[in-house]
Amino acid sequence: MFAAASLSDHQRAIGSLHVAVKRRGVASVLADLRQDGCLKARFPRPVDWIEVVTLNSSGGVAGGDRLASTFDVRARARATFASQAAERFYRALPGDPRAHVRTNLTVADGAAAEWLPQEAILFDRAAVDRALTVDLAPDAWFLGVESIVFGRTAMGERVATARLADTIQLRRDGRLILHDAIRLSGEVAAVLEGVATGRGGAAIATILHVAPDAESRLDAFRAAVAEAPAEVGASAWDGMLIARLVARDGAALRATVIAGLAALRGGRALPRVWMC
Amino acid sequence: MNFLATPTSRSAAPALLRLLAWLSPAFPTGGYAWSHGIEWAVDTTEIRDGATLQAWVADVLRHGSGHNDSILLRHAHRAADNQTALEAITELALAAQPSRERRAETVGQGNAFLAAAAAWQPTALRELADKVGDLPYPVAVGALAGAQHIAEDDAALGFLQSFAANLISAAVRLVPLGQSTGLAVLAALEPTILAVADATATKSLDDLGGACFRSDIAAMRHETQYTRLFRS
Repeated sequence: MFAAASLSDHQRAIGSLHVAVKRRGVASVLADLRQDGCLKARFPRPVDWIEVVTLNSSGGVAGGDRLASTFDVRARARATFASQAAERFYRALPGDPRAHVRTNLTVADGAAAEWLPQEAILFDRAAVDRALTVDLAPDAWFLGVESIVFGRTAMGERVATARLADTIQLRRDGRLILHDAIRLSGEVAAVLEGVATGRGGAAIATILHVAPDAESRLDAFRAAVAEAPAEVGASAWDGMLIARLVARDGAALRATVIAGLAALRGGRALPRVWMC
Repeated sequence: MNFLATPTSRSAAPALLRLLAWLSPAFPTGGYAWSHGIEWAVDTTEIRDGATLQAWVADVLRHGSGHNDSILLRHAHRAADNQTALEAITELALAAQPSRERRAETVGQGNAFLAAAAAWQPTALRELADKVGDLPYPVAVGALAGAQHIAEDDAALGFLQSFAANLISAAVRLVPLGQSTGLAVLAALEPTILAVADATATKSLDDLGGACFRSDIAAMRHETQYTRLFRS
């Protein structure tokens, strides 16, 4: 499909990545790794929580690119997935297909997984179709964040128009428990000016936590972000906690995401890639 | 696609009569108890007059629940005689709720709608409720409207009008605003309601979603609001 004729002569980037992590003694270790095209993974801190750092060697995502990753966290293993850098989604030409990004994370019985990529930075006229699907065993533990920055305002960037579909689906024991979808196409800047949309904010994030005790973390989470620079709402039900964040820019968003994650991660340090 | 130009999509008179009854504020779905986060936006004075109310509700119609509920209603309408499809739409509708109170809002009204519709023998809808437990409101209305031959476009348009009127009514009580101000907002939103009903006619379930981040935050923050008259 991705070889279809296009108005653009951009060289399509294709990448696929598969990482499986298993428990061995007290450690979580690599069980399987397959890397193709522009997607790769590195493992800087293989300890009791293995850290998997993904990188896209193509330097950014353009219309028509296809990236697919599958992550498998096996029984009782614990893994944190982070990206080496913020992913940039570049301008697409009007006839270009949207960049197609798919990530599937499977978390087995007694296992724990964190999906902590850095921000997706959209450029003006970006065209993105991104989906994260997470399949959780009944007692699996999951924490995830997806952040989107609509133009780096400090650098004078602004996303006037874009085509964006960003979907998160969580399943627990095979049942769909969350379908969170951003659908924002056309005059993005104008839409985000709205009082009930973004009130002019140029950065948004969603934090998701699924665990048997997720609801009991709500008060601590709310307290942790009460003074943070982004506007935050959080709610919890059915063994799940969800937070929405809207910020004026990427820096305010990141500071708030970090404050919120701290309340859910039991004092563990964030992956080092978050700190540069 | 234009509503005014497609008279063939209209309901027969007996079907229209039912739709008017089911979407009337007198139909006991308990809609008056839910504000969809409006109570928080009034508390923060973001909604304080007709203009700020209209802007908020227009966003929710175009980029939030109005758009999504209309898609769900339409697909439930088309699946009215297909229990398996209705179960899948129900699962999706429940999973798409962004907060505890928003989930309670759609389920509270959906379940109450089924109970109140007993006089119209909602057999298939009751079977669905027995299977799935809780009924999201737009799925309940769409499935019953489909089963009783109410035109899909009429049902979607009526549902959106009733949704907008309910949010406006909440704000009229909370700000408070005069009745005439609320009605002026409802009149001014007519083009938006028509446009959303129209735009959702051809949308798939994959088009569910939007960009009403602050409406979601409002519903979440409502949970800890000090004084609360509404349940969402």
